[in-house]
Amino acid sequence: MGHHQAVERKPANDPAFALPQAVSKLTLPLLAGGLVVLLVGVIIGCMAVDTRFGMSAYLTALIYCTTLSIGSLFFVLVQHLTRAGWSVVVRRIAELMMVMILPLAVLYLPILVAAYQGTLYAWSIEGWAEGHGVPAAIWAEKERYLSPGWFTLRSLIYLGIWSGLAMWYYRNSQRQDETGEITLTERMQARSGPAIILFAFCTSFAAFDWVMSLAPMWFSTMFGVYLFTGSILSAHCVLALASFLLQRAGAMRDEVTVEHYHDLGKLIFGFICFWGYIAFSQYMLIWYGNIPEETHWFYVRSSGVWSTLGVVLMVFHWGVPFAGTMSRHVRRKPWLVATWATYILIIHFVDLYWVIMPEAGFGAGAAAGLAASILCLVGMLAMMVGGLFRLASGVRIMAVRDPRLGESLAFENI
Amino acid sequence: MADSQPQTITAEDGKTVHGVVGEYMDVDSLLSACERVRDAGYTKADAFTPFPVHGIDKALGIKPTVLPWIALVCGLTGTSIALLMQIGMNGDWFSSWIKNFSYEYIISGKPYVSLPAFIPVTFELTILLASFGTFFGMWALNGLPKFSNPMFTSPRFDRATDDTFFLFLPANDEKFDESGAKVLLGELGAEHVEPVVDDDTSLTIPKPLLVGLAATIALSFIPALVVARMRVTKSTSPRFHIFPDMDFSPAKDAQQTTTLFADGRAMRPLVPGTVVRGYPGIEGLDVDYEFQTGVDMEALAAIDASRVERLVALVDEGETEAEEVDGVGDGDVASEAPSDSDEAAPVDEAEAAPPEDNTPWLTSNPLLLDEATLRRGQEQFHIYCAVCHGMNGRGNGLVNQRAQKILASTWTPPSNMHDPTLHQDKYADGKLFSTISNGIRRMPGYAAQIKARDRWAIVGYVRALQASQSASINDIPEEQRDSIAEEQEAVKKAIADAEAEAAKKAAESE
Amino acid sequence: MSLAIPNGLDNTAERPGERAPLVLGDATYNSITEAVCRIAETPPSRGWLIGFFIASHLAGMFGLCVAYLIYTGVGVWGNRAPIFWGWPIVNFVFWVGIGHAGTLISAILYLFRQEWRTSINRAAEAMTIFAVVCAGSFPGIHVGRAWLAYWLAPYPSLNLWMWPQFRSPLLWDVFAVSTYATVSLLFWYMGMVPDLATFRDRSKNPFRRAAYGILSLGWSGSSRHWMRYEKAYALLAAFAAPLVLSVHTIVSFDFAVSQVPGWHTTIFPPYFVAGAIFSGFAMVITLMVPCRKIFSLEKLITIRHLENMCKVILATGLIVGLAYGTEFFIAWYGQVPEEKFAFINRAFGPYWWAYWTMITCNVISPNLFWVKKFRTTPWIMLIVSIFVNIGMWFERFVITITSLSRDYLPSAWAYFSPTWVDWAMLVGSFGLFFTLFLLFCRLMPVVNMAETKATLAKELHMAHANHG
Repeated sequence: MGHHQAVERKPANDPAFALPQAVSKLTLPLLAGGLVVLLVGVIIGCMAVDTRFGMSAYLTALIYCTTLSIGSLFFVLVQHLTRAGWSVVVRRIAELMMVMILPLAVLYLPILVAAYQGTLYAWSIEGWAEGHGVPAAIWAEKERYLSPGWFTLRSLIYLGIWSGLAMWYYRNSQRQDETGEITLTERMQARSGPAIILFAFCTSFAAFDWVMSLAPMWFSTMFGVYLFTGSILSAHCVLALASFLLQRAGAMRDEVTVEHYHDLGKLIFGFICFWGYIAFSQYMLIWYGNIPEETHWFYVRSSGVWSTLGVVLMVFHWGVPFAGTMSRHVRRKPWLVATWATYILIIHFVDLYWVIMPEAGFGAGAAAGLAASILCLVGMLAMMVGGLFRLASGVRIMAVRDPRLGESLAFENI
Repeated sequence: MADSQPQTITAEDGKTVHGVVGEYMDVDSLLSACERVRDAGYTKADAFTPFPVHGIDKALGIKPTVLPWIALVCGLTGTSIALLMQIGMNGDWFSSWIKNFSYEYIISGKPYVSLPAFIPVTFELTILLASFGTFFGMWALNGLPKFSNPMFTSPRFDRATDDTFFLFLPANDEKFDESGAKVLLGELGAEHVEPVVDDDTSLTIPKPLLVGLAATIALSFIPALVVARMRVTKSTSPRFHIFPDMDFSPAKDAQQTTTLFADGRAMRPLVPGTVVRGYPGIEGLDVDYEFQTGVDMEALAAIDASRVERLVALVDEGETEAEEVDGVGDGDVASEAPSDSDEAAPVDEAEAAPPEDNTPWLTSNPLLLDEATLRRGQEQFHIYCAVCHGMNGRGNGLVNQRAQKILASTWTPPSNMHDPTLHQDKYADGKLFSTISNGIRRMPGYAAQIKARDRWAIVGYVRALQASQSASINDIPEEQRDSIAEEQEAVKKAIADAEAEAAKKAAESE
Repeated sequence: MSLAIPNGLDNTAERPGERAPLVLGDATYNSITEAVCRIAETPPSRGWLIGFFIASHLAGMFGLCVAYLIYTGVGVWGNRAPIFWGWPIVNFVFWVGIGHAGTLISAILYLFRQEWRTSINRAAEAMTIFAVVCAGSFPGIHVGRAWLAYWLAPYPSLNLWMWPQFRSPLLWDVFAVSTYATVSLLFWYMGMVPDLATFRDRSKNPFRRAAYGILSLGWSGSSRHWMRYEKAYALLAAFAAPLVLSVHTIVSFDFAVSQVPGWHTTIFPPYFVAGAIFSGFAMVITLMVPCRKIFSLEKLITIRHLENMCKVILATGLIVGLAYGTEFFIAWYGQVPEEKFAFINRAFGPYWWAYWTMITCNVISPNLFWVKKFRTTPWIMLIVSIFVNIGMWFERFVITITSLSRDYLPSAWAYFSPTWVDWAMLVGSFGLFFTLFLLFCRLMPVVNMAETKATLAKELHMAHANHG
């Protein structure tokens, strides 16, 4: 039964599985150009406003790229954990993305330096607590956690764990490309459970340390989940968009079918809802409880230009894409899925901007501030994409000998 | 497959033939048969299967359903209903259109219309209505429930819900001819082919069933009739309490006995040596009866000595006179004559009271009326009096406003303090004090809630309030008169301007 | 019809690239029908009768307790100031949590195309509805004057136009739980109609045939009907999935929108949902392990089904553990004295025993499932799942009682002691639950035959494709 014809399997060395020439030659321009743009962005930020603003813009861009990368890592882990078959054709893209956490880890150096110099995190600024009326006893406890040395160590732990996981899965998947060993899949499957525990721990605490501690006195237990949700949502968007662009450029034309876009579209739709759910729950509980210790974070974000941005997020991070990706007809058109994915990737940046930048204390930083933020993002993103192309040039962009490839090729939605 | 093959049905008896059905034993042969039938030009062919067969929609050419749209419309209806319901019932938006509709009440400092708080219910109702739309829409589109179906005529069809697949070619299909269809299905590998004929079971409903149904319906009316009758008839027996509903308080009343205490008294005497603050009538403490009653006792003694005794006794027992007056107040609600029920006197006297009030009320406030006293009076007035009488004493407080809307015909409006009959010369301070203490018409006595000192402070404040609303320019200190006059001029001018503006507009609109 | 599927009952091993079968034995469509219908068609076994006897008596006890409570007043419970939410609310949250697995299995696993749901979803959905019945009865009587519970509904009361207070989380609860109960019921019933038609068509007794005939609404199995039916099923699944999440989220709001230390924390919504799934799956295992044995359904409800559920229990148990840890960390990180005290008090205060019972059962015991041997041995999973149920009851106890007994006003602090009515109601609610479940086993199709047959058809197709 079933009249769906599975896509025919191509030999492992088919050119459809290599990064198209037109794409791979962009590597160097992207890397070099990205670096320049990033530097210009940071400098404008530091000059036009102040160092803290420049560093915040840099952090926003860095966290943005990190969420894409670790979201992809989570995608890969979950596919192994659930023994998923449908996703094999797009999994390699996620595997390449997750390895980007290694170069991104290097870019965390300036953040660590800033933590020592007191140019980014309020808690590292001399005299901040006294200036803001924080009782000394409480601050003494806080400082036991929020100290530059301890912060650096923790950052290294998170980055180390992510990098280790990413590299291990990447290497095994690459090895399977050559040998086709089924035991590799079994081994990756077996380790995916503990790996996800480590991942969840790191993601939650990294969100507390890198982002939540920008407002040192504020706390929300759900904050890690909030950033994670944006991360996994945007990772799915990256997959859809990258598959679409690669197919346009001539790679894996037959393998990634409408069915895969449909499924990615469903997941994107689901995570849009999930983001709305988490964002709403966090806001709701703090709004309703109305305790000063918590509300100040939302108070800052509901005054001035930030309140507009908050409404923008509600409407354009949830409302519009929710309605837009609800229909099956939309999800079954690859170009529409790719369009919505691009849209989400943009609005995800707005989300992070709204979370991070108000703590820099300068409103939106006027035109120069905005320019600095955007340049930082563009530069960092270009560097990451350049690195991605560099990595992908030497390898296949699909897991060609995965034992479940056949299932993925024959995949059909309910 | 089956142990006993049921009897085959043929069309020989001259019954209406609805179509021809062929049986298949597995999915693949059914699907290929479906495709062939479709390709042969049948558009209304249908398959009957024990489970949803993947790919059969395409094989039979079945069109997609509109069900998602039904669900969407129902879901959006749910969203709208939920939002309108919540905003309408808790918010203040609709009050201008529908009188008294909304119930505005501040909860934990939240605005009436708090969208974050309305989202959960909105979400639930959206899902609920969308699910209803899907569920009932699906059955409606399928034409179910429908308990009679020509397909059910053949006993062989029982296996359609077990393990056999049926392909049905209906007679109303343009391509249909009975023998041709039979041959086609046979060629397509059907294990068994037979016509589908009318159900020949009797159409008459069995008599016992009808009788039973009628009896059930008739009996089900009885409770409703009993309730309906109870609602229109009167009964002398006490109310029927299904649930106790706190109607019967287990607390003891005065003078009742109890087994809890050795002396059997439910009322407990004060512990020896107790000195209660503000509690008059305790031995060793001087009680100022005039301060407690507002009556000039000496003068009253000259007119009516027995009443003095009663008043003194009441004050000594610490009872409020209001309780004594209660009986009168309740029975006398409709009475509009103030002299009737504002009598601060025991029941029997109130009933016999002459129309003219001859009580020698205290005519001046025993308190020293300094600023502190007046502030105290103002504060107490705002707490206890203003809800009905209004902040300005004109008798239009919140309770009155609400009551005018919902109980207009039976409501006795609170007095306007600025009525000349309530001024000092007509309504002595002592009388006002007594009214506050004992109540009047619908107003209950406040002796139990407000201390005597504070009641006097209120009296003082009411006097100040009255003075403020009927003052002339001469009552104002001389150095302030000029500025007041200026202000008055400005106000008058503003009023005149506004009137002129309104007149102009009216003229223009005509 | 016979196919190339291994006859052994262990289908837990799976070579990547091939899918292990979910319907075992030399199964045919007819054998599935027989296996399921036989349960309702043969006279009840002795085990069933004994179970029903006990359960229905406990349910009767529950009913008597409710009557006693309504007649006497809520003072018969141990609820005293400041612990006004005593066991009734603990039981309510516990049962609502249990009631999450059914719709979750049916809806979310359906959306994720997890075919192993097919033979367990029916019983899980039934369990959901019965758990919600148990859950709903507690707040119903907790309102004090249960006969006035209709005041929760939006109607213009007593001509005063007093409406419910929609800014109160307790009212959201009313809407959430009743919507959930309604949609779960529709979903359950709709899924059952084709199987009820099977019951109808197999019935020899005319009364039985008429009863199942009415219940199955004249279902004929027409492909056009199936098409709309499947669409409706997918839509209901899509509605039910967020609904499941919303219900326990809103239950968590009951606690989290307040300012009571230990309640007001933003992780509550996802953490409550994970906990509900955790306890719900545990209850499914508690029911299905004996059920498949008693009714000989081992070939349909295979070890693989159970193993997958164990994995879900392990995953959600770890999420719950992570949430406990996060709460503790943030209570310290936030440096709000009341919050810090609340959490230290939970672990080392007068209710330390409840807290550590919870940790042992919820965080430690599921870790046994890391070992494949444990998650494929029915009696071990039965024991662990019972531990999880106990742990999840204690979780609600810890949250409700410890926070209320030590709130902002030290002069009001108290220690909660349940009364015999509290105990009887907790036990009685289990009686009610099992009575309903046992009745369901006898009267309704316990396994979704239509879907299991569809799974079998798919496996047959795959087997042919691989060998032909």
